[in-house]
Formats: sequence, structure tokens, C-alpha cells
Amino acid sequence: MPVDSADVVIIGGGVSGLSSAYFLAKAGKDVVVVEKGTVGSEASGRSGGMISERVGESPLVPLAVESLNIWAGLDDELGYPTEFTHHGRLQVAVTEEQMDEVFSERDAAFAHGINVDQLDPSEMRDMIPGLSEKALVGVFFPNGGHANPQRTVQAFAWALQDMKGRLYQNTAVTGMKVADGRVSSVETSAGTIEAETVVAAAGPQTALLAEMVDVHVPAAPARVEMLATAPLEPLFKIALVGNGLYGRQAARGNLLFGGGPHEWADVGLTTDPDKPNTPLIRNIARRLAELLPGAADVPVIRSWAGVVEQCPDYLPIIDFLDSPSNYVVVTASAHGFGLAPATGKAASDLVLHGESSIDISGLGLRRFDNVGTGWRDERGWIPAPEQPAAH
Amino acid sequence: MESKPLVVVGAGVAGTAAAIEAAKAGVQTTLIDENPIGMSMIGLDVPQFFGQRIMGTLRNKAVMLGRVAAANDALADAEEAGVDVQLGTYVWGAFRNTETSRVLDGPQLGLADDEQSWVINYDRLIVAAGSRDLGMSFAGWNMAGVMGANGAYSLMSRYQALTSQRMVVMGSGNLALNTARMAQDRGVEVAAVVDVSPSVRGGEALVTGLQAKGAKFYTSHTVKEAVGRADDIEAVVLVEIDDDAEPVAGSEKTIDADTVCLAIGLAPNVELLDLLDCRLAFKSELGGYVPCRDDRMRTSVDDVFVAGDAAGFHDEMILNPEIARNQGRLAGIAAAQSLGAIDNAEALARRSDILRSAAVTAPPAEVHTGWKKWLRSLVNAGGLDIFACLCEEVTRAELIGLQPPRYLEWESERMSSRSLQTLMKDGPVNPDQVKRLTRAGMGHCQGRRCREQVSLILAEEAGADIAEVPLTSYRPPVRPLPLKVMWPHEEPEQVRRDWVKWFTP
Repeated sequence: MPVDSADVVIIGGGVSGLSSAYFLAKAGKDVVVVEKGTVGSEASGRSGGMISERVGESPLVPLAVESLNIWAGLDDELGYPTEFTHHGRLQVAVTEEQMDEVFSERDAAFAHGINVDQLDPSEMRDMIPGLSEKALVGVFFPNGGHANPQRTVQAFAWALQDMKGRLYQNTAVTGMKVADGRVSSVETSAGTIEAETVVAAAGPQTALLAEMVDVHVPAAPARVEMLATAPLEPLFKIALVGNGLYGRQAARGNLLFGGGPHEWADVGLTTDPDKPNTPLIRNIARRLAELLPGAADVPVIRSWAGVVEQCPDYLPIIDFLDSPSNYVVVTASAHGFGLAPATGKAASDLVLHGESSIDISGLGLRRFDNVGTGWRDERGWIPAPEQPAAH
Repeated sequence: MESKPLVVVGAGVAGTAAAIEAAKAGVQTTLIDENPIGMSMIGLDVPQFFGQRIMGTLRNKAVMLGRVAAANDALADAEEAGVDVQLGTYVWGAFRNTETSRVLDGPQLGLADDEQSWVINYDRLIVAAGSRDLGMSFAGWNMAGVMGANGAYSLMSRYQALTSQRMVVMGSGNLALNTARMAQDRGVEVAAVVDVSPSVRGGEALVTGLQAKGAKFYTSHTVKEAVGRADDIEAVVLVEIDDDAEPVAGSEKTIDADTVCLAIGLAPNVELLDLLDCRLAFKSELGGYVPCRDDRMRTSVDDVFVAGDAAGFHDEMILNPEIARNQGRLAGIAAAQSLGAIDNAEALARRSDILRSAAVTAPPAEVHTGWKKWLRSLVNAGGLDIFACLCEEVTRAELIGLQPPRYLEWESERMSSRSLQTLMKDGPVNPDQVKRLTRAGMGHCQGRRCREQVSLILAEEAGADIAEVPLTSYRPPVRPLPLKVMWPHEEPEQVRRDWVKWFTP
């Protein structure tokens, strides 16, 4: 096969990889995105679509706040709709236990100098018609919102193409050649691509890719579930967190909510992981109806699952490595969607200038220097044993 | 959790035969059927295209249970044989462990009635879930009075609740002719039987009978539009077509009718099989994606069997119910054998009996050339501004143009430059990707009325064979269930304790 080449090869056509690719192409780089399936066919396209300032995770706040700034103009920037909705985010407590979570979010916001409003039940019900009578207290973040993940991923992909970036779908990475401490080429199912810089933004596969270049990225895959109802009349535009769920009302009117226990998993490098739903969706339905009793009669019309990756401290990694010296790791710890615009900006800064204009100092890989390869076993972040066959 | 040795889904000809055969072999058998379907689901046109020509008596569950039982003699035989028959029970989910999901203590089915849902375990499953109406769009198909052949069958036979007076039938195969005959028998006037083919496709005997009662046949015709008042059909305009499926100018005929019955074809109900990861393959002669199965009706998943329309539908099955019945019996025997209820020799003997008595029928013919011609004629006659997807109101033009939904009120030069054609430059046609962008197939009927036409349009745009268009994915619940029906009555303490908020440290 002929050898292809690019300034930057980005592995992974999810929202982080495409955002990185877009900003690099916009800066004039010759960019190729290699995606084993179609854009957004894994975690990015299956996200809940929530966007927030992430006040509970201090190292993320600068990235999250900058991301919201970019989101605000993203539709015009890309030229395609993302359904970005900037009407804030409400976190509600419907039990005594949940009140502590609400107060700790409020206090975290204050600590970062971010304005929030503590709301009483009647104020919350004005904001969310049909909200539970049991809603005790809430905290409202004016600077939050949501968007449509599938539309967003496609918007980035198209905008990338409009900037002359190349998108290779249905193309899996099978190997990487390292010479003189650099990745010299990426081997794919469609042939070899030589690159000056490689950005690995492959979600749950990021750790497997890193192994190819002798780098240990501690990120464990997990499967999570969501459901969608039939459309309702417009009730609320804000992103809603409460009763152990997170979700939104889509522009069309469907309620899209997820949450609950996740299941640790393993994934293959070139294959699509299974993404079944389980009877857990019944429990999600129950919690949604508890949160929004006014919607208890609306039918659930589908559910889905996604496989995300998670680092030991639940935070992303955005880092230009020392070795290989032309390799950037981008992995989002299940926060990828909301952060993606800023993640892409930061990653492109790293490639272009060697440093990020957004503060990502807490997101380096070196923070895991003491995390050994056995960390998943130690934490129990491993798949359940296979059940013996029933017969 | 409650575990059933054998669950049969669907109490049609095949499912009932399967259940009886297994019960006779000593297997404790549960036969589940969703009829009578609740009014709210019928209103969503699930699981069939019912079309709103429905008597209010359908609200009386007790009356409907009696009618459903009375319409199927074999149900009494099943109960006689010791089968536990559960009517009015939806199967909305099927779950088994996979690489990334290992928490179940065995394969499970999600069940529900109109009030509540529950989950059961099973050792063996026979899917005899029947088939689904093939939707084809034309101007006015969003009005009350448009229904599918299976929907019409249910309303006429199972429920005796069809309110139609005068019907136009689209299609002229045995499915269409049999539906028309049934309508005539119940006092519905069949005004016209229409097909794009140059001659009637179904059996001669049925044609003669229909003509004797006044049905007129229009071959080489298509439907231009249904017209009416207040979203209620009053007439159907037919138009003659030429060899290129283009309408012949001035050949329009207006037929008074309050009902249009889509009886062009049926699509096998493979959603549960897909959820269970049974291997499916595209076989046009069997109606599209069907389970791979052996002669004993075993699927690629060793505890799942299949029978009847769900295994693949062809027109001969309308005239000869023995085909479905035999498939059901074979599936029942195979399930009993795999449970050890009968030994290999006994199973072989029972199979041989069935195969010996089975009538030899001609191999079925592929159907998609005909479906494509229907769609092309409807597009030629009606244009591109017709809804391809009724729930989400996505027109053919919007689908082909890959345009975002109108409610986003998005316009940009860049967006206008994108289309299915440009998307296909990036990779093979992917119906899941297209539905998420256009929303065609994302509505409350769960894509039932538009799946096939959307796939046909994608194939046409891609210049690809319809067999190259992948199956649009199915997700639970495969019946739309209200939150308050789907939910478990209580959240167990354990679940409440283990419930985490998005990976909270």
C-alpha cells in the first residue's frame, strides 16, 4: 500500500479528537483523523450532552470555563448546528442525602468565584414544570447547558473537512513505528501514515494505543446507560441533575436521562465493544419519574449504552509526552463532551506551540507515575467474572 | 428470580404450534402474546400500522381478551396441552450477558401489561413474534384511515373493531388479496386494488372472488395522494404509470374511500433476535433482515429458536398456514430436545413426521425490486415534499438532503452543501448515522412505519443494493412503555445503595 503522510495524525473520531483536528486544521496544519468506525459512533455520540463548569473538580475548572466560552459561538464557528443550549444547569436534591451533594457543589462554586443561586422548592418548580414535590433544595449554575452530541460530532467532522482536514472512517490503527524516541508512522488497516505529530484521542482504546509506544495510561473502560422518552411539550431548557440522574429535554422535546451503576469492561483495539442495555433502564425510568412526576405517563421509546474510560482520579489527561516526544495523549475520563471545544484548543496549542493557552497543569500524565500496571485489579475496576453458562 | 424453562413469544399460528409441541413433549411452556393491545399503544401505531379506524369497544379489555381468544382456536388446544397462556403481555426487552455486560444471572425478558412491567429468566426462547407492516409514503398518508395489512387484520379478525366503510388496497400479492377478501367478508367495500406491477401478483381464485363483490383492479397504477377533510381520508387519487414508473399525464382517477390499506409487503419482527445478538442476514425473498437458522429453527444463539413470519415472511405463507405451523412445531421439538425432554431419536422421529407431510412449495421470490418500484412510483407521482417519517415529519427531500430538523431553524451555506451524497463520500451508508442527523425513524412508532422506505431511499441515493444497507439498530424497550409502567415498583435497597452519580469519587 502507498505511504500517506500528514503533519498531524489524530487517532479517534470522537468529539475530543475531532475538536483537536479542527483547531489544528484551522491553524493551517495538514491533519488526518483515523477512526475505526464512523465519527461519534462510540462514547462521544452516546453522551448525555451535559456541559458545565465542573466546579467539583478544581483542575478542570479553567478548561470547563473556557469550553463554555467556545461553546457560546461554536455553531457559527463551525457552520453547522450543535443544538447548544445555554440556559444553565440545575442540581436538585429530592432526598436528605442528596442535599449534601447540592451544598458541596454550591460551596465548590463559591470557592472558584463562580456565581450560583441556591433555590427553594417553589423557585425550582417555576424553572422545571412537573418537578417533584419532594424537591428540597437546588443549586442553579447560570453558566451551563447542553448540546446534541451526535450533531456536535458531525459538525466538527464537517468543519474539519471544510478546513481541508482529512477524515478516514472505518480505518483502524494496528500499530505504530517508533524510531529515535519519536513515533515515525501510524500503521492502519488502510496503510501507513507518516506523521510529525500523533494525537491519541481514542477514548477507551487510548490505553491500548499507549501500550504500543511503551507508555502506561491508566484508564479503565466502563459501560453506562441512558434512555429517551417520546417528545413532550417544551418544559425546560436547562441541564438537570438530580436523584442520581443527569439529563436534559432535547430541542425536539424528548427527555434524555442517564445514570446509575456503571459496569467495568475491557475493550479490543480494533473492534467495537458490545453496548447492550440491561434491566437497569427500568430503574432509570423510576428515578426519572420520581424526579419529574409530571412526566410519568410519557413512553420510553429507546435506550442506549456507551463505553467511556475513566482515570484513577476521575480527571482527563491532556499531555504532550516527553517520550515518544511527538505524542499527545487526550483522554477525557467521561467528561469528554462538554470539555471538547477547550480540549481540542488545548491539544492543538500543545502541538503548535508546545504549551497550552488554557491551564491544564493538573491534567498531565506524570501525576500517575506511581500508578502501577496492576491498578485496576487493586481498585476492583475490572469486569465481573464471566457468568457460567446456564446450561 | 422467576425462571421459565421455555418461553414462546407470539401466539400466532407458529407460536401456538411451537408451544403445543413443546408442552406435549413434557416441557413446562409459557406462551406470551401482546394482544389485545392497549389503546394508548394502538394510538402510537405500535406494533402495527392501525390507522385510527378503530371502534371504542377496543377500550374494554375484558371484551377484547374474549375476542382475541375466540379468534384463535389453537389457543384452547394450547391450554388443553398444559401451556401457560399469557395474553395482553408485551415483550419489550431481551437481555443476555455479553463481553461488557455480565451482571445478569441468565438470559432475561422484559415483560409488561398496560399497568406494570417485570423481568423473567428463561432457559429456552422461541421467537414467533410475527411481522410488521411495510410503510410506503404518499401525500396524505398522515391522515386517519391509512393502515397496514397486519393492522387491518388485527382490527378485523382479532378485535372486530374496524370502522372502515370503503377501502383502497395497495399491493396485489396474496397478502393484499387476502386482506381485501377479509374486508369484503366483514362488509367493507373494497373499491380498488392497486399495484405498480403490470399484472396482478396473487392467486387467481382470490381475484375472481374479489371481482365478484365489486373490487376493481388497477395494475400499472400507483397512489398519487389521499385527500380528505380534517385529517380524515375521503378519497384516493390513483394514477397510471409507465414502464419507468413515471405517472401518465391525465390518467388520474379519484376513488371515494375512507381507508387505504398498505398491503405491499411485511417485514419480519426481528427486534428481540437483534437484541439477543442472533446473527441476522439480508434475504430479500424473506422480507429483509431475517435470523440465520437451521432446518430445526435454531438460531446462532443456542438457547434461542425462531418460527413463523419472524423467521422470514413470503407471500405463499398467506395461502398456506401449514408453513408457519410446521416451523412452529419444529421449533417446539428442537427446544424440547435441547432441554432433554425428549431424546434425539424421539426428536428425529417427530421431525420426520412433519417434514414428510409438508407440502412442497416453490422457493419464494425476492421482493425488493417490487418495493423499489412502488417507492419510485410514489416519489415520481408525489414529489419529494412528502413525509417519509410521520412521527418526526421528515420529508423525502430533507432525508436526501441530510438536513437538520426544521424546528432547529438552522440555515447555513455549509449545511446546504451537505447531503446524503456528500456523506457517502466519507464511508458506506450507515442508517443509524443518518437517522440521528435527520431524525427519520426516531419517533414514537420507533421507526416501524419508515424503516424500510428510509433504507430503500438510502440504497437508491448510494446507488447500492438494498442488501448493502446495514440493519438500523433496535434498542429496548421495543414497545413504547410509559415511565410509570416500565419502572419497577420499588427500588431495592441494594440498588439504592449502589446507585452512583456519574462516577462520583
